[in-house]
Amino acid sequence: MKTMMKNLTDVPQGTRVRVRHLQSLPELCSRLRELGFCEDAVVRCVVNGSRQMICEVCNTRIGMHHSIARTILVSSYE
Amino acid sequence: MMRTMPTPAITTVALVGNPNCGKTTLFNALTGLRQKVGNYPGVTVEKKEGIVSSVNGRDITLLDLPGTYSLIASSPDEQVVADVLLGSLKNTPVPDAVICVVDASNLERNLYLVSQIIDHGLPTIVALNMMDVAEQSGVRIDVRHLSDALGVPVIPTVAKKNKGTDDLRAALLAGPAPSSRAMQWTLPETVQRELDELSGMLSAAHKYRSVVAHHTALLLLSSPAAPDEGRTDISPEIRAHVRQDHEKLDFLGIDRYSVFIEARYKWIKQVCAYASSPSLSTGASLSDRVDAVLTHKFWGVLIFFALMSVMFQMIFSWAELPMDLIGHGFDAVSARVGSVIPPGDVHDLIVNGVISGVGAVVMFLPQILLLFFFLSILEDSGYMSRAAYVMDRIMSSVGLHGKSFIPMLSSFACAIPGIMATRTIEHPKDRLVTILVSPLMSCSARLPVYALMIAAFIPQYTLLGVVSLPGVVLISLYALGLVAALAMAWTLKKTFLKGTSLPFLMELPPYKMPSLKSTAIHMWERGFIFLKKAGTIILGISIVLWFLATYPKTENATPSERLAQSFVGRAGKFIEPAIKPLGFDWKIGIGLLSSLLQREVFVSTMGTIYNIQDDSAGSMREAMQRDVNPDTGKPVFTALTAICIMVYYVLAMQCLSTLVVVRRETNSWKWPAFQFFYMSALAYAVTFGVYRAGLMLGY
Repeated sequence: MKTMMKNLTDVPQGTRVRVRHLQSLPELCSRLRELGFCEDAVVRCVVNGSRQMICEVCNTRIGMHHSIARTILVSSYE
Repeated sequence: MMRTMPTPAITTVALVGNPNCGKTTLFNALTGLRQKVGNYPGVTVEKKEGIVSSVNGRDITLLDLPGTYSLIASSPDEQVVADVLLGSLKNTPVPDAVICVVDASNLERNLYLVSQIIDHGLPTIVALNMMDVAEQSGVRIDVRHLSDALGVPVIPTVAKKNKGTDDLRAALLAGPAPSSRAMQWTLPETVQRELDELSGMLSAAHKYRSVVAHHTALLLLSSPAAPDEGRTDISPEIRAHVRQDHEKLDFLGIDRYSVFIEARYKWIKQVCAYASSPSLSTGASLSDRVDAVLTHKFWGVLIFFALMSVMFQMIFSWAELPMDLIGHGFDAVSARVGSVIPPGDVHDLIVNGVISGVGAVVMFLPQILLLFFFLSILEDSGYMSRAAYVMDRIMSSVGLHGKSFIPMLSSFACAIPGIMATRTIEHPKDRLVTILVSPLMSCSARLPVYALMIAAFIPQYTLLGVVSLPGVVLISLYALGLVAALAMAWTLKKTFLKGTSLPFLMELPPYKMPSLKSTAIHMWERGFIFLKKAGTIILGISIVLWFLATYPKTENATPSERLAQSFVGRAGKFIEPAIKPLGFDWKIGIGLLSSLLQREVFVSTMGTIYNIQDDSAGSMREAMQRDVNPDTGKPVFTALTAICIMVYYVLAMQCLSTLVVVRRETNSWKWPAFQFFYMSALAYAVTFGVYRAGLMLGY
């Protein structure tokens, strides 16, 4: 069955998802991966605001602008 | 093939780790050096050294390097780490060994840097820090398995409780060896072949050490573009080879940017699976609920400004009593010394020059201590980075992002650490703009000027029965600095520092109870610096100023006339036409001139001038309130003059140390010169506007 993917910005507060793909500039992708947003990493959305969001990955909270979160494609965590 | 022989004599050890892994706390525990512990990424922006207590008569120098996520640097402070470990930083020897500090509660992400470090072939010890936090979060780590998997000693530590530091010291003195598990991560065959080939070419062509060649090859292969013609450290043949490699890997559909990171993480996952069990925590925590409020788009901003208001109100009200006590203390010393020394030049020098000058500044010590107390609490509790998150909305409206707000907030204490903290900003233009506007934030050196003017000339009204007018004026001055900084940032980003900013992306450290010990040490350090400055520079300037305000002596003249005829009096009169449009007379002009290098000297200057001019009993404030302009018959100082002086000091660049640091950080005198002139022009223009508006309103 094909995995349904969505942007990280669409993830409701408190939900866990799995990173599937990063689609941004190479430097930004590298930095995101170094921060723990690797493919298959589990991310929890702590706060999802109108412009920014806070996610928890590898037990660390990362604050990010929605324009970055939109480049992180995720699927449901199962 | 990596060496496996133990290193015989270790003299220099580098301490590296991710931001917020407790690295600086461990550095303090190992060396006993007192140093500020930050709680947001990038507080350690300078290389710091300490001596690990010697055993067997050997001392080991420990280098505390900035926190970093990776050796592939994306900001100036991260570059320092890579440069030190590669031995390419001037005047810093390649360390003999590395202590890699790992946050045990965040093993997977922290092991990414560990894997890069052990690939460097340096003898390495892993300090598995924050074991208590990991256990509380349900993370279980088998230390022996982890050590086996990494091929290096792993020492569990809880640095803030000094646990495990003896074991770490013993492991260090035993002489660690390079890991036998370096380069365990597996790359696709083609990529590995190209990496090895390029690495060999770099070694042969440039005589790079193998580790430098490997690091450079990895950088070149994973960078978006091949090195350009301007890069003289890479030969044209190698540039051409890199270009071919890029084309080949792109043709094969290999993502050059992610292939190295993914390969490392794949290996790290295997290590984690072998050596640890993951956290079992589920559901919303208290921290989640606190974040939801403190980072809320409306409540978060409101709480931030409310906190700032309370902070400045408290600085003003809590400091009142101790300031009065210090003031009375200096008055008593002045009276006692004055009664012992017979009248004459020595008497005047000691009483009017030294005691009045230094006393006028030392009086503000309580306010300085309170300012650093509150800033330290904000930082240690984890709130500072939330403030950056909240302020990102405002910062992005002027072309910067929230990360620039931390250096600006630090500049409330002093612009110098604020400017150095800009090293965490990745984008060069954003960093430069932040450097150029940070000194507009009101630093602690301005506080004595504000406090003197507010206490002497702003009435003690209470507004709405809660807030005092002096407190409101003080907050307004800090707000003016912030607004001016944002306006200048917007102007710079719209004109000759045009460019798009990177969106906000920042680690938010966990909330924690601020350490009273750390706060007390911080206050002590800053208080000591302030007193040292008062006892050296300000004392020196006070003595020189007394001389210049006393000589040449005019016989049969009033004290005021004698001051006017003195050297500084003449200098003040000389510049008076230029500052008269701002509502300033020649005596204020002396203060402006003498405080060109340091702002707080304005206060000691007023202390010296008014003690020489006004023989009657009473404080400096009272002497200033009594002073009348003989030409106009009006008071020299009014509430409007006081406001104009404060506005001038908010905006003017009167700090030589800041200019020197800006020169160092921008590697050019062009930017500090620009900064000095734009801030001076801005200060003059705004003060002129405020004075004119005040006159029109009848003040």
